[in-house]
Amino acid sequence: MASDNSEDLFSVAMLIDELKNENVQLRLNSIRRLTTIASALGAERTRSELVPFLTDSNDDEDECLLAIAEEMGNLISKVGGPEHVHCLLAPLENLSTVEETVVREKAVESACKVGAAMTSEGITAHFVPAVQRLASGDWFTARISACGMVAVAYEGCPASEAETRSQLRMTYSKLCADETPMVRRAAAQHLGKFAAVCEPENVKGEIMQLFQQLVQDEQDSVRLLAVEDCAALGKLLPREECVAEIVPTVKKFAADKSWRVRYMVAQQLYSLCESVGADLARTELLQSYEQLLMDNEAEVRIASAGNVAAFVQLVGAAAAGAKIVPRVKDLATDQSQHVRAALASCIMGLAPTMGKDQTIDQLLPVFLTLLKDEFPDVRLNIISKLDQVNQVIGVDLLSQELLPAIKDLAEDIHWRVRLAIIEYIPLLASQMGTAFLFQKGEGDKGGELNALCLQWLGDRVHSIREAAAVNLQKLTEVFGAEWACANILPRVMELMSNNHYLYRTTVVRAMTLLASAVGQEVAMRDIMPALKEATKDKVPNVRFAVAKALGEVAAALDPSVVEGEIKPALLELQQDQDVDVRFYAGQSLQLCDAKLSA
Amino acid sequence: MGKLDVEEYGTYDSMVATLLEHKFLPEKEVLQLCERARSLISEESNVHSVRAPVTVVGDIHGQFHDLLEMFKLGGYAPDTNYLFLGDYVDRGYYSVETVTLVVALKVRYPDRVTIIRGNHESRQITQVYGFYDECMRKYGHAGIWKAFTDLFDYMPLTAVIENQIFCPHGGLSPSIDSLEDVRKIDRFQEVPHEGPVCDLVWSDPDDRTGWGMSPRGAGYTFGQDITEQFNHANGLKMIARAHQLVMEGYLPTHDNGLVTIFSAPNYCYRCGNQAAIMEVSETMDTEFLQFDPAPRRGEEQSAAKRCPDYFL
Repeated sequence: MASDNSEDLFSVAMLIDELKNENVQLRLNSIRRLTTIASALGAERTRSELVPFLTDSNDDEDECLLAIAEEMGNLISKVGGPEHVHCLLAPLENLSTVEETVVREKAVESACKVGAAMTSEGITAHFVPAVQRLASGDWFTARISACGMVAVAYEGCPASEAETRSQLRMTYSKLCADETPMVRRAAAQHLGKFAAVCEPENVKGEIMQLFQQLVQDEQDSVRLLAVEDCAALGKLLPREECVAEIVPTVKKFAADKSWRVRYMVAQQLYSLCESVGADLARTELLQSYEQLLMDNEAEVRIASAGNVAAFVQLVGAAAAGAKIVPRVKDLATDQSQHVRAALASCIMGLAPTMGKDQTIDQLLPVFLTLLKDEFPDVRLNIISKLDQVNQVIGVDLLSQELLPAIKDLAEDIHWRVRLAIIEYIPLLASQMGTAFLFQKGEGDKGGELNALCLQWLGDRVHSIREAAAVNLQKLTEVFGAEWACANILPRVMELMSNNHYLYRTTVVRAMTLLASAVGQEVAMRDIMPALKEATKDKVPNVRFAVAKALGEVAAALDPSVVEGEIKPALLELQQDQDVDVRFYAGQSLQLCDAKLSA
Repeated sequence: MGKLDVEEYGTYDSMVATLLEHKFLPEKEVLQLCERARSLISEESNVHSVRAPVTVVGDIHGQFHDLLEMFKLGGYAPDTNYLFLGDYVDRGYYSVETVTLVVALKVRYPDRVTIIRGNHESRQITQVYGFYDECMRKYGHAGIWKAFTDLFDYMPLTAVIENQIFCPHGGLSPSIDSLEDVRKIDRFQEVPHEGPVCDLVWSDPDDRTGWGMSPRGAGYTFGQDITEQFNHANGLKMIARAHQLVMEGYLPTHDNGLVTIFSAPNYCYRCGNQAAIMEVSETMDTEFLQFDPAPRRGEEQSAAKRCPDYFL
């Protein structure tokens, strides 16, 4: 025990030494272990020695300062209880004034943590004065940090201290009118947080006044942060106040001359509409939304198009049909592909709200346009959400356009597009059935898709080949063994004659997956012979693919078949000249034996 | 020690699995890995013999996400056989992960994976171009860097596929006329400033004939005549090498006597190039598979959520 202790002390002594080391990395390591050091020193020495030392190490590298700022927040439990926590404020106050933003933000974050752990006496005696000092700092960095701390000061300060609270409100109001835009920006950013801890009558009075002032700021970077306050304040105010004060502001913002402000509105508008309710959203804010959908800036249209389904659901079919659907039609031929992609990702969500007739009359043409879009992401977004439309109108109406669109995507030059469409095929198949997708019909469209599913097995990209094999398994699970025997298996077997090992490996993989889907009889009759043949492949990689495959296939077979057919093949592979073939054969034999002994 | 015993497979399988998930290996495992790798590759020839079929990979330079993308396209080891032409480290942000994965694959599947040395597999170069700093940042000291750079001294200098395709990282050397000359080199040392070892990892092909001064300050440039003479004298079909950024990811030159393969897409995250790998089939046909950078999903989404801050 004694030796343990001295060893501990020694390592702590080393950590303390390294706090002053010239090497940044070593200093950082030590800073990261400040809580350990503090535990070893005890509360009193932490307060009297460690904290003052850290207060003085103010001119370190930003990396170290950032670490100190963060670790200070973790020392709260190490300084001897709530009545002593305030000692941590001094170093954090220093760090809140440095030039580097990330350090400052971390210091403010830790200071707020410290504040939350303080007693209300401590807040009035130490935290509030610290905030006031920062707020009247000469350099704007201090004043920025003050903005982030006022709310904690206000909350911690007891309501009986009306004078102190009123001074804090005055301070915030000064910060909102600061000459430096960066400070006003911080004030706008934290206004919602501050409002949340203010008394309701002050929210209505002073806070709203500050809000109105920030809303008219000449800097767009300040105004756009005030946009975020709209939703926050909207939740705090009684409904009629919200309608009177916030809604007009939002409407004004939606027509702001800065596109960045409008972009913020486009992002925030839906949550605001939610808080004012559907009626007001329809009468007051729908028009703003309509404007945003027609905005000059693509970024704004993207942000608003992405919300279109949610909006339609909120305002209902009638209002949406009049105001939103016409704009949606325009967006379907928007010049920006990203706008069209954003629209395509959610437009299918309109169908349930709009109902069958409107969907067919109004939206179907839009779906078809997007299905023929030149940009693959747009088409893919539509196809991946088909199920939503399927429930409302069925996909038959889309079928004419659907197959060519799938075919195009299936041959897209970007492999991730091909992958996405393959992964969607089984779902499509289960929704629409074999008749539509795979059997020969007029113009042999179904046959084409069937061919595509096989063509993917020979794709140059490994991930596509793998997905193609899985796809065939899933289709077989949907359509059954008979369908697979007629349409898939013979064609898969033919591919085994490919003269490139990677493609033969894929075929082995496909056969393995199919074996479990078609049942033992078909597996033994149609698949096993081909797998056995492949154990003699000239390339070792194919042979060990078979070795792995046999172990997997065995799981779905009767013990007698495993004993009679699988094991002999594996035993032979265990004599292979290639070490990897021998290894995987051994692994699969273990699987077989485990199954047999079970 | 040499190759692993079957009982050791599990340890290395889990290392590979961990790395493929883009997680760190503990320092102890990395050191163990380097130790095993050294004993394994020190036994390999300066001209390591590789059987077809095999997929040939050029510079990766710590672009770990793009290496994973490459596996998605080319297939994973051991199902696909790989020959890596060096320059695993430097420039990209994930040299540690990249070189650890490549070496772990080599140790676990020595018959399926071949690694050779690039000019960046060197103590001097890695101190300038990022690998050293990355090791310091990620492991807190230089031990990992030292273990890897010590290992680099043992990497084979070149490989030859079925005695038909010669694969150095850089190119040819005026001090080397035959594969036999390469085999005679004592390679277990830091890449020197001149001489055959230096040339094999530093030289570049050129449009001008004969040998020329390299603008890189190390190695030489060599013309089509040199390539043809070397291929003819050694019964080779082609030289496949890496070492130079090519916009399409691969570039046949010297009348198809030499091909450059570069497997770091959008090199240094800014060059806008495609990457490629070369698939050599069992019948010695060569095909190139091009690829683009892996989409960085997380970053994209978080960037989209932020307000665009072009002018902030």
